[in-house]
Amino acid sequence: MAAPVLCGRTAVLCRTLRGISSSNPCGLLLQTASYNPRPLRLNLSDPYIPDKESDETPAWQKTARYDGKLYGRYGSASGVDPASLWPSHEQLDRVVAEEREWQPTLEEMLRNIELKEKEEAEKRQAKERLIAANMAKMPKMVADWRREKRETKQKLKEDKARREQLLEEARVRFGYALDPRSPKFLEMVAEVEKEEKKKKKLMKRRLKDEQTAAPVTTPADVS
Amino acid sequence: MSFPKKPGSKALDVLQNLPRISLANLRPEPGAKKTAPRRGRGQHGGNRSGRGHKGQRQRGNRPRLGFEGGQTPFYLAIPKYGFNEGHSRRPQYQPLSLKRLQYLIDLGRVDTTQPIDLTQLVNARGVTIQPLKRDYGVQLVDEGEDIFAAKIHIEVQRASEGAIAAIERNGGVITTSFYDPISLGIVIKPVPFFLRGQPIPKRMLPGQDMVPYYTDAGNRGYLADCEKIQQARLALAQKYGYILPDISKDELYHMLSMRKDVRQIFFGLAPGWVVNMSEKKILKPTDEKLLKYYSS
Repeated sequence: MAAPVLCGRTAVLCRTLRGISSSNPCGLLLQTASYNPRPLRLNLSDPYIPDKESDETPAWQKTARYDGKLYGRYGSASGVDPASLWPSHEQLDRVVAEEREWQPTLEEMLRNIELKEKEEAEKRQAKERLIAANMAKMPKMVADWRREKRETKQKLKEDKARREQLLEEARVRFGYALDPRSPKFLEMVAEVEKEEKKKKKLMKRRLKDEQTAAPVTTPADVS
Repeated sequence: MSFPKKPGSKALDVLQNLPRISLANLRPEPGAKKTAPRRGRGQHGGNRSGRGHKGQRQRGNRPRLGFEGGQTPFYLAIPKYGFNEGHSRRPQYQPLSLKRLQYLIDLGRVDTTQPIDLTQLVNARGVTIQPLKRDYGVQLVDEGEDIFAAKIHIEVQRASEGAIAAIERNGGVITTSFYDPISLGIVIKPVPFFLRGQPIPKRMLPGQDMVPYYTDAGNRGYLADCEKIQQARLALAQKYGYILPDISKDELYHMLSMRKDVRQIFFGLAPGWVVNMSEKKILKPTDEKLLKYYSS
């Protein structure tokens, strides 16, 4: 079959190219190289249009989709009603419902994005606030902890010193190094504590007397 | 010769009278093709044929790649982490460097007097898109931004900032737009789609994850505001240190300002139209419901 050197579509392309280059004011040849379009073998002279009534034609050739393909290839020569290419009202309703469910509008999507961003920002800010509050408490907590540690240390030291003192006293009293767990030592400890209590009471009473004496005398002096 | 010949026409005559180039007339340059040495022949290729001495090497029984003699191999000892999780569901964008784009323009495969679309790039065989392999389009990459010098109106799916700067520096226009997979299949192969006899569908909007990208003026998204895009152009010009050329004074201003509608797939064709290739006709729907659907 004598195929023309330039098929229809390439001829159109060359004409447009020549047109562009002729309209080019610079005078330079617009060199364009394009891939020749694939030859569209539509087979218009010998179309195969399946017989819808016959039983021998396979089922897939009687579908609407195949009709669309027939129309796409052969145009009005296929005998397909072009109005059937678009969806019917029921199909359109279904499509619209599906789109409404699965394809949110741009405004909706923007709103969702804003909400999400706000939520994230809120979370972040809450976390930051918590951290800031806790950091503000930190100096006080550090000082407290340090104080606690100091006090416990001091207490331990004091206890140790007291124990040493008592041991020394016991040693002095009894003449030999006494075991702190023995009953004698414990008795001695009890005695020492009693004496201390008595001393404290006397001190308290003295202080009270001084206090009551002092305010009585001063108003008396003033008046 | 008896009659005087035009000077400089001998070569042209020779060229015209030479026979047609075919495989019978072609031969490689001497020294271009070097025959590979054959194994198992000659003093050096023979004997053990480059396989070594005894053992698994010579006998071709080496274990699989990665095997470490029984010790837990590296590729199993390292614990898994979700780097590749869901990799097959991630959108991919075929990269198009500015170097390749300049090459295509120089060879004339891409026409700069018309807007450059994904269809034009695929027609020029500049990129190959596979929508079935989770390709969502083409991305512009900055490689070759220093040699790029062409004023074009291009529409891609993603673009790096350097690429945007390079295009705008030369007085061009770049837009990033989204094509859902069905529209992408139609855009890269329009003729087989028209032969299907279906009406052109409307382009779907991007998913919620991609909306921030396409509404950002810095990415020249197709959903962004025009004023913000203008401001972004100025800001980018300041950032990269070039003077932004004024497009409105350009002779091709009409072409550079052409923009596709959000739902449009092809320039000059609206959703809902049926294109018939055999009769070269376009059919448009007249039913109000259909018109309302296709224009929403």
